[in-house]
Amino acid sequence: MTRRLLAYFLLDTSGSMHGEPIQALNNGFNGLISMLRSDPQAMDSLYVSVITFDNDVKNIIPLTDLASFQPVEIKCPDSGPTHTGRALEMLCNLVRTDLVKGSAEVKGDWKPILFVFTDGKPSDLQLYRESTTKVKALDFGMIVGCAAGPKSEISFLKELTNEVVRLDTTDVNTLSTFFRWVSSSIQAGSKSQGTGENMVLPPPPGELIIVV
Amino acid sequence: MQIVKVNSIIDASRYYEYVDNGSPKQGGVKDVYFSPDRKYVVAFFRTPLDYNQKDRIKRIVTLYLENIKKGNAPDYFLQDIYRWPYDAVERDGKTGVIVPIYDSRFFFSKGYGVNDNIKGGEKVGKWFTAPSFRNKQYPLSLDSSELGDWISYFQIAISISRGVKKMHQMGLAHSDLSYNNVLVDPVTKSANIIDLDGLVVPGLFPPEVIGTADFIAPEVLRTKHLKLSDVGRILPNQRTDLHALAVLIYMYLLRRHPLRGGKIWDLDTEKDELMAMGEKALFVEHPNDKTNQVKTDQLRKWESFWGNPEKIPYTATGPYLSELFRRAFIDGLHNPMMRPIANEWETALLKTVDLIQPCSNTSCEEKWYVFDNTDKPACPFCGTPHKGTLPVADLYYKFKNDIWKPEGHRLMIYHNQYLFKWHASRKVIRNENLGPEDKKPVGYFVFHQHKWVLVNLALDGMKDLVTQQEIPRNAMVELTSGGKILLSNEEGGRLLYITITNL
Repeated sequence: MTRRLLAYFLLDTSGSMHGEPIQALNNGFNGLISMLRSDPQAMDSLYVSVITFDNDVKNIIPLTDLASFQPVEIKCPDSGPTHTGRALEMLCNLVRTDLVKGSAEVKGDWKPILFVFTDGKPSDLQLYRESTTKVKALDFGMIVGCAAGPKSEISFLKELTNEVVRLDTTDVNTLSTFFRWVSSSIQAGSKSQGTGENMVLPPPPGELIIVV
Repeated sequence: MQIVKVNSIIDASRYYEYVDNGSPKQGGVKDVYFSPDRKYVVAFFRTPLDYNQKDRIKRIVTLYLENIKKGNAPDYFLQDIYRWPYDAVERDGKTGVIVPIYDSRFFFSKGYGVNDNIKGGEKVGKWFTAPSFRNKQYPLSLDSSELGDWISYFQIAISISRGVKKMHQMGLAHSDLSYNNVLVDPVTKSANIIDLDGLVVPGLFPPEVIGTADFIAPEVLRTKHLKLSDVGRILPNQRTDLHALAVLIYMYLLRRHPLRGGKIWDLDTEKDELMAMGEKALFVEHPNDKTNQVKTDQLRKWESFWGNPEKIPYTATGPYLSELFRRAFIDGLHNPMMRPIANEWETALLKTVDLIQPCSNTSCEEKWYVFDNTDKPACPFCGTPHKGTLPVADLYYKFKNDIWKPEGHRLMIYHNQYLFKWHASRKVIRNENLGPEDKKPVGYFVFHQHKWVLVNLALDGMKDLVTQQEIPRNAMVELTSGGKILLSNEEGGRLLYITITNL
């Protein structure tokens, strides 16, 4: 009997992502799914859910196992705000319904993991701050924030998690490298365990800067 | 893209070359580069090694490699069982090992049935031990051309057992045996143990890992919270390898985990996991304690066949392996000294292969099954009953003069089955030391003109002891219930006692 590992991806589709960045995001994300699908461990346990956020917040891919996953083109409007706060709010609601908690009868899921990708800053700051507290209370196994491009601001993501990756650009190469790293972080749990205690993220590739 | 030359740190006159294209294949702890002729790889540890680690690597590529070369069946172990590193190099403070390249059979030639996503990918064991990948309803099931049949997994398990046996004979422990560290190919029925640079020499080099989830022994997890210096802390050793080996064999043959059942030990997932694999570990098929049995209503739909022990219980592997599974997962689960050693697994697997019958359903996915000792045998995988009579030969050895004693070894006979020297003589042992001469059949069984017969190909002194008739080479003898056939009059020659069932 296998436990599930739920992975939530919050992807910024605000107006500033228009053009090459959204192409690169699609590319990188599809590459990630493809990499995960070549790992039998991930295939056996990983479930993926994708939320996009701009002016609207959508759960474009409701929770699905890797094998049943159908690729969807991630689109973004020409312009508009970045409703990161509403996205986190939706995330909290989804986790509450998706996540199987251990009970006397049923094996619970692993602690879920969360990736937040943004190229800007939250337009709904008050809601964002309220929601970060709620997200933290949900006990994620790992939260990784990724601030990409020249206009992104790390400070807001740092309110959510200590693991923040900064990417200087949003081109195809950078995003592909980032998603490769995401893939290896997800897979780290099934690798050999050290004799020490805590699980650590694998080191990020050279061109990334981790801010701790 | 550039070709880099590095010198051996064992013998400075030796050098190796690799192609550096800037993006090496990344393993757990190593970056892997290919040689220009793709005969070997240079695998660099990403972080610099300390003195002990380097010393261990040096011993693995010198002392232990020499031991294998000087021991029995060196080519077999170095080509068919291990990818053993054979030299060490250094560059920019980083240590690298030279490892023979993996054979092409260990890469998927098709992979998934519906797309090429994993074509060319490494066939790590996990693909073949999870129930979903072989379920046709699963959206990304493996192509049936990749799966082999049930006999494939016996040969794979035998190869892994031999690899572990040899390591333990040399005084080493693997310490991280898992399906990630074994490449398998069900098509050619082969397995290779890889990532051997982490081997542990008990007492000399401490292990650096506790293993991979699913394979870590209960006593290691139970004491994981203790400091490394605590005398109560148990780290990987040969006995924990034997736990991992038992789990691997169970998973290859039964495609589920022996300890992952329905019992919830703690509402916290991490704690529950630690207890279920550690101090509370309990066999899902424990005959008396049903606490951890699989809750079949909670299985995912594509796990419902192999994931359900009621459909294919561990006893489907026959009496010899069932006995070892009981020792590994009941008696020895929390008592490491009780665990079967690698050699016992090898012997039981080989003896079980002699109990295997072909399924008469030509589209059966497993094609073979172990005779279940009942009078109405049927394939447990597709349910097809056995058609026709079923001869059984029990092997006896000469105790003294006219007294023959049972070997506890049975041969299930099917049409077009071969008989080998290791059946005919006690002096030939079926293991990795057999030469090509010993692997030639000495006789065969066929159903011929409504009779079961044994044809003698290469045995001297074969005799039907009921009729006292000699059976020279290229002659045959009919098999009848109660028949006693002396296979050879040489010392160690065995006798077959025939029973015909399913009449």
